[in-house]
Amino acid sequence: MPDTNLIIEEKDAHIKAEDFSVFYGNNEAVKKVNMRIPKGKVTAIIGPSGCGKSTYLRAINRMNDLIPICRADGAMMFDKQDIYASNIDVVSLRQRVGMVFQKPNPFPKSIFDNVAYGPRLLGIKKKAELSEIVEHSLKKSAIWDEVKDRLKENALCMSGGQQQRLCIARALAVQPEILLMDEPTSALDPKATTKIEDLIGELCGDYTIIIVTHNMQQAARVSDFTAFMYEGILIEFGITKNLFEKPREKQTEDYITGRFG
Amino acid sequence: MQLKTRKFINKLFSGIGITSVVIMTAFLLILLTPITYKGLGAIFFSGTIEYRMLNYKEFGHGDKENIEKEFAKAKTARAPVYLQFDSFKKEVKKLEPKKRREIKNQLKEIKEALKELLGPFPDTPIPVLLRNQYGQTRWKNAQEKLHHVLYSEEWDYSDPTKPGIQVFVPRKKYFAGTSFESFFPYLEKNIKKMLLPKFTCYWQFLTDKSKDAHFFGGIMPEILGTIYLALGAMIFAVPLGILAAIYLSEYANPGKIISFLRICMGALAGVPSIVFGLFGLAFFINTIHVSNSKSVLAGSMTLALLILPTVIRSAEEAIKAVPNTYREASLGLGAGKWHSVWTIVLPSALPGILTGTIISLGRAAGETAPIIFTAAVSVGLPLKIWETLSQPTPALSWNIYNLCTEHEAVDEIRHVQYGMVFVLIAIVLLFNLTAIIARARIMKKLRG
Amino acid sequence: MHYNKKQSLVFSKKDATLQWLGSSIGKGFLFLIASFSAVIVFLIFWFIVKDAIPFFAEKGFKEFFTGTNWYPAAEPGEFGALPIFVGTILVTLGAIIIAVPVGICAAVCLSDILPFKIRQIAKPIVEMLAAVPSVAYGFFALVIFAPFLQSLGATTGTNVLNVSIILGIMALPTIVSVAEDALQAVGKDLREGSYALGATRAETLIKVIIPAAASGITAAVVLGIMRAIGETMVVWMASGNAAQIPEPIYNVLQPVRTLTATIAGDMGEADHVIGSMRYHVLFAMAASLLAISFLCNWISEWITTRDP
Repeated sequence: MPDTNLIIEEKDAHIKAEDFSVFYGNNEAVKKVNMRIPKGKVTAIIGPSGCGKSTYLRAINRMNDLIPICRADGAMMFDKQDIYASNIDVVSLRQRVGMVFQKPNPFPKSIFDNVAYGPRLLGIKKKAELSEIVEHSLKKSAIWDEVKDRLKENALCMSGGQQQRLCIARALAVQPEILLMDEPTSALDPKATTKIEDLIGELCGDYTIIIVTHNMQQAARVSDFTAFMYEGILIEFGITKNLFEKPREKQTEDYITGRFG
Repeated sequence: MQLKTRKFINKLFSGIGITSVVIMTAFLLILLTPITYKGLGAIFFSGTIEYRMLNYKEFGHGDKENIEKEFAKAKTARAPVYLQFDSFKKEVKKLEPKKRREIKNQLKEIKEALKELLGPFPDTPIPVLLRNQYGQTRWKNAQEKLHHVLYSEEWDYSDPTKPGIQVFVPRKKYFAGTSFESFFPYLEKNIKKMLLPKFTCYWQFLTDKSKDAHFFGGIMPEILGTIYLALGAMIFAVPLGILAAIYLSEYANPGKIISFLRICMGALAGVPSIVFGLFGLAFFINTIHVSNSKSVLAGSMTLALLILPTVIRSAEEAIKAVPNTYREASLGLGAGKWHSVWTIVLPSALPGILTGTIISLGRAAGETAPIIFTAAVSVGLPLKIWETLSQPTPALSWNIYNLCTEHEAVDEIRHVQYGMVFVLIAIVLLFNLTAIIARARIMKKLRG
Repeated sequence: MHYNKKQSLVFSKKDATLQWLGSSIGKGFLFLIASFSAVIVFLIFWFIVKDAIPFFAEKGFKEFFTGTNWYPAAEPGEFGALPIFVGTILVTLGAIIIAVPVGICAAVCLSDILPFKIRQIAKPIVEMLAAVPSVAYGFFALVIFAPFLQSLGATTGTNVLNVSIILGIMALPTIVSVAEDALQAVGKDLREGSYALGATRAETLIKVIIPAAASGITAAVVLGIMRAIGETMVVWMASGNAAQIPEPIYNVLQPVRTLTATIAGDMGEADHVIGSMRYHVLFAMAASLLAISFLCNWISEWITTRDP
């Protein structure tokens, strides 16, 4: 039986992958993964480059749909629905599963309009309501104090770290249940990285967070659970402390101790 | 090959390259300098009292009192000349027949030239054509006309082996010994007092209508027509072009149909402009009858077809240049595809789209062949906006051709031709400059 | 405040169909607009050929393409358009002889030789040359250049030489920008590789870069040819409009007539006699022009897409 079913019970699982595969043309990048992601916790997915972790992450909110040669097999269960079924409303899915990308990508609009973009999509039009939501999201992202006086300024006039926190605020403003983070700090300096890691610590509990990272120390610092993937296969899944101190699989141990990267 | 030779060839090559760029710059300067210089001459020139009179009587510019005072002065200076004609009449009758004929001939030519120079003789009926009602309005032309009065054009056939040479004989020669002889030095000496040339700035050249087939007045109807046509072309081409570009870059699946569409767009871009004109006539006017005959509407639609490929191309490039990350971020937040395009992609692509659009606007303003059969007339009043749907219009591009080739007095109105060309080039370059500045401004806003 | 009312992940049947309908209609509408240019090309082709056919049906091809007497208004009309075709070919050839060497050298200079700052000045010069309207060029050719040529000894200033030079200047910006794009597209790597082997800049350009960009440069030349063939105003104003083949053919100081000028010049009259051969022969000329431009287009497409 797959790892995760031993550790995460059915009732605690927010997302369940069942024999889930992703193909790029004929190349199977994610091979029949079975994984249960626990609700309200931070799960990290680690592994060497090219192991399929980003592909897997992007499959959760169906961002891979944007790539024509990409197709999925198996089931990804969320809210008792297989999100790859034929009658799924992808827009609705993405409003409940948010994403923060590797390279900060704020829109070339004002800080306010960036954060308000999501709520506006949800139908909120009144200025007062939007202002409240923007303030709340920016506060949650621990960036409110830095930008509260320049909400009308262009979002691109900020440092990389600030832009990434803005993107997190923007994603949070949609009030998603799950937040996917694809190597969110790999393009940032150490100081900004620390700020974001602290943020993740504060957010968990309210959100289910899945973070892909190539930085093992980061995974060890921020996550409750860790999944190790290698060449598209889920090798090991466990409570972070256990996986890093006493890995069950040899491949996991080799990766963690740096025998291959 | 030796290193020295190789280095020499290198220098030679660079030299050739730089020479060709210098040649291109020289072409541009040779092209623009005379046009600018003489074109400005349509606005800034030395104008005579005849000009100021005309300007006041026909267009209402200028100060009545001053002009009348000046004219009185000029009249006084001219009076002796006219008197001389009258008093000489009696003398002529006393001459022998051969000499009388010669003198009468000369007098006839002198009178005609003088009429062109100073206007109709006092106390004679006012001529029908406006151009004959006034003397020379521009000092430069006046000096040429003065030459006609003082010298007669004759041909010297003395050398039988060569064709006749043109010589200028001072008319004074014919009147040697008569009382009329003093006419010529007096005229030459006092011509300035008779015409009172003064530096003029006729900026109303851009706002006045023309009178008497562009002999006098400005080029406002033509400027307005050009602007109507260019804006009309934009109204048709820009929405179509942007929507087509959105389809091609965001929605189209690469395949046979799309390659075929692109080939068609390339073909459309290569069609000669005169063929567009023929098509405009055959299709828009004669088949679907957007108007009964030539009209700004038909001309704009034809021009729109001409600039459509360029608009599509630049819009598509601008949209493709928008980073994919913006699209991903927008879709990731739960926006639909069209919403993402409309709120994120298009606004980011705006600088590029705007540049391409405004440059196409300049191109539409300068084109002639498409509007010859669909919208342009040589003479006409400036149109009001609702009239553009059914009425043709003068336009700078067509009228430049018309004034240079089919006009009855091509050499008299050179300054108007130069003025038109200068204004047209200025308008087109202004459009291009606006495009560049607008793009720089918007890019600054987007970059932050 | 909770405002994300978690909508169902699943489309109801009704919503699914509505969604599909909406997106299909939207996509279809955009596709229609995008295919507008294809429609127009066909319409142009149809309308021009439609009115050209009556001429060829009645008069055949021989007189038009080989006859040398052009008197369309006479009774009966003579429609030998060979001198007019020759006129078009002569001025285009002349324009190319001027524009291609200068254009390619200038393109090479702009892309590789000039320092960045000077390039900032040189590019706007090319763009300005491109932006000048054709009727302004025509004006220059007729009013300034022709008298100049006459003062140098030509019997008439409006002739093949005049038009060739002006058309050459007009085609220059096209050739320069497309050729420069082609040279830039070759990329840094090839250049760096060649310089690293100790080649001079001239050698790199002549032996490596220009051959690599050859297809793009050829396409630039073809586009320049198209520009020259399709130009109307300059030839109408400055070619002399004499439907005769120069004697001898390389005598560039003689006037000629081109297809574009004939259509522009004669259509005003011919439109009053719609249905006559005089009217249809102009469409025959337009059809020939269309055929030539489509051919040039196809050649340039073929050149740019066949390169490995």
